[in-house]
Amino acid sequence: MADKTAKEVLFDPLVNNNPIALQILGLCSALAVTVKLETSLVMALAVTVVTGCSGAAIGFINKYIPDSIRIIVQMTVIASLVIAVDQLLQAFAFGVSQKLSVFVGLIITNCIVMGRAEAFAMKNGPWMSFLDGIGNGLGYSMILILVGFVRELFGSGKLLGYTIMTPVTDGGWYPTNGLLLISPSAFVLIGLIIWVIRTAKPEQVGKS
Amino acid sequence: MQRDSIQNTFKVAILLCLVCSVIVSSLAVGLRDIQQEQKEAFRQQNILTAAGLWDTDESTPAEAKAIYKRSITEVFVDLETNGVARGIEAGDKRLDPKAAARDSNMHTMVTDLGDGVRDIAGIRKREHYSTIYEVREGDTLQTLVIPVRGYGLWSTLWGFIALDMADMSAGPVGISIKGLSYYEHGETPGLGGEVENKLWKAKWPGKRVYDGDWNVQIEVSKSATTDYQVDALSGATITSNGVTSMLQFWLGEQGFGPYLKSVIGAAATAESVVVIQE
Repeated sequence: MADKTAKEVLFDPLVNNNPIALQILGLCSALAVTVKLETSLVMALAVTVVTGCSGAAIGFINKYIPDSIRIIVQMTVIASLVIAVDQLLQAFAFGVSQKLSVFVGLIITNCIVMGRAEAFAMKNGPWMSFLDGIGNGLGYSMILILVGFVRELFGSGKLLGYTIMTPVTDGGWYPTNGLLLISPSAFVLIGLIIWVIRTAKPEQVGKS
Repeated sequence: MQRDSIQNTFKVAILLCLVCSVIVSSLAVGLRDIQQEQKEAFRQQNILTAAGLWDTDESTPAEAKAIYKRSITEVFVDLETNGVARGIEAGDKRLDPKAAARDSNMHTMVTDLGDGVRDIAGIRKREHYSTIYEVREGDTLQTLVIPVRGYGLWSTLWGFIALDMADMSAGPVGISIKGLSYYEHGETPGLGGEVENKLWKAKWPGKRVYDGDWNVQIEVSKSATTDYQVDALSGATITSNGVTSMLQFWLGEQGFGPYLKSVIGAAATAESVVVIQE
């Protein structure tokens, strides 16, 4: 593969090579945290930071990692970063860390992070790997924010906790769409997003 | 040295583990105090939420601290004598159930508490001392907030139950629930984790706890019809059963039941004294 420019590395994962929409990675957390926009935003930020920093860290040491233990080394670096993020959230954003509960710790299981470490950071320098991590994090964030926006707005009539359309249960007019509050709806929304992207960019359609 | 040689493999592995451990533990230790503060604030908020004195949607965390200071009186209870504890100050290690569980002088194994006592709540050890929280209006006791904990499906759930004591003259049947609030657990989000759901929590106020003979009758049930039953969480049978078991334990003979009896008894005596004087 020809060497990519920094700009390509950073912006490709937004639409051309979106980790969720094209690589189909990182779906579990996308389903779980997108019930509300606030948790989607925090999760998006956490994954972007972890993927970027782990990319940079692994990019620094990739020349020294023996082949036989490379996966475990990647996991150790990512796990340490995830613990660091979790500790910082518990100290400075306790309310949010309570809402995200187990999902911050589960970032280590997010395929995007390990996937980029193995596919990119092992073969590139720290700066490019950092950009690749941030780019994929941003691509993930974009989908998460989109899904979170739709699910919170139409599922509970609120955005970031502020009531936009007063739900019937609160004495208003909007009959909330309960389907959007459960996980399968996120699955369907992501499917719709993939459909839209592949209609606009047919080159992403897989061979059948 | 070759990158893939056995020596280098060991060297890289050890170095990596050292560096990562240092970073992670420094962070954990360095941030511990701030995290403790946050946890303490969160605990206070939960006590207030259970007692119906604070709502996360309506007031800020800073206000919670102020409300706690002026509304809540901490009382240290000796669970062995079932009365107010003597010689205990705030901050005493014996009051922390997690610390007490590590020191055999500070707790008793639940199964050793008496003949035929079973560990229904799955907590294994019961501490000697505990803190309960009183909300008083002037001199009259309005609400009593009691810490409860028990095993669910995957974890121990830690929470507070607030009892409405305004109707103490009616005896045990006069005690109703003001709220049940869990602040720490590891149950499955969306299933057992729904103990935190506002709609489920709203089912508790007004429910009664004891029958006339001080038997704990409150339960979480799949078909909740009476004043003593609260609707179970769908898809979370074991967590729901865990909630019932822990309430039976902590409000029963091995928990705060005897203490509550003495509180009601004292109130009844005080009332009859007043009547005689008139």
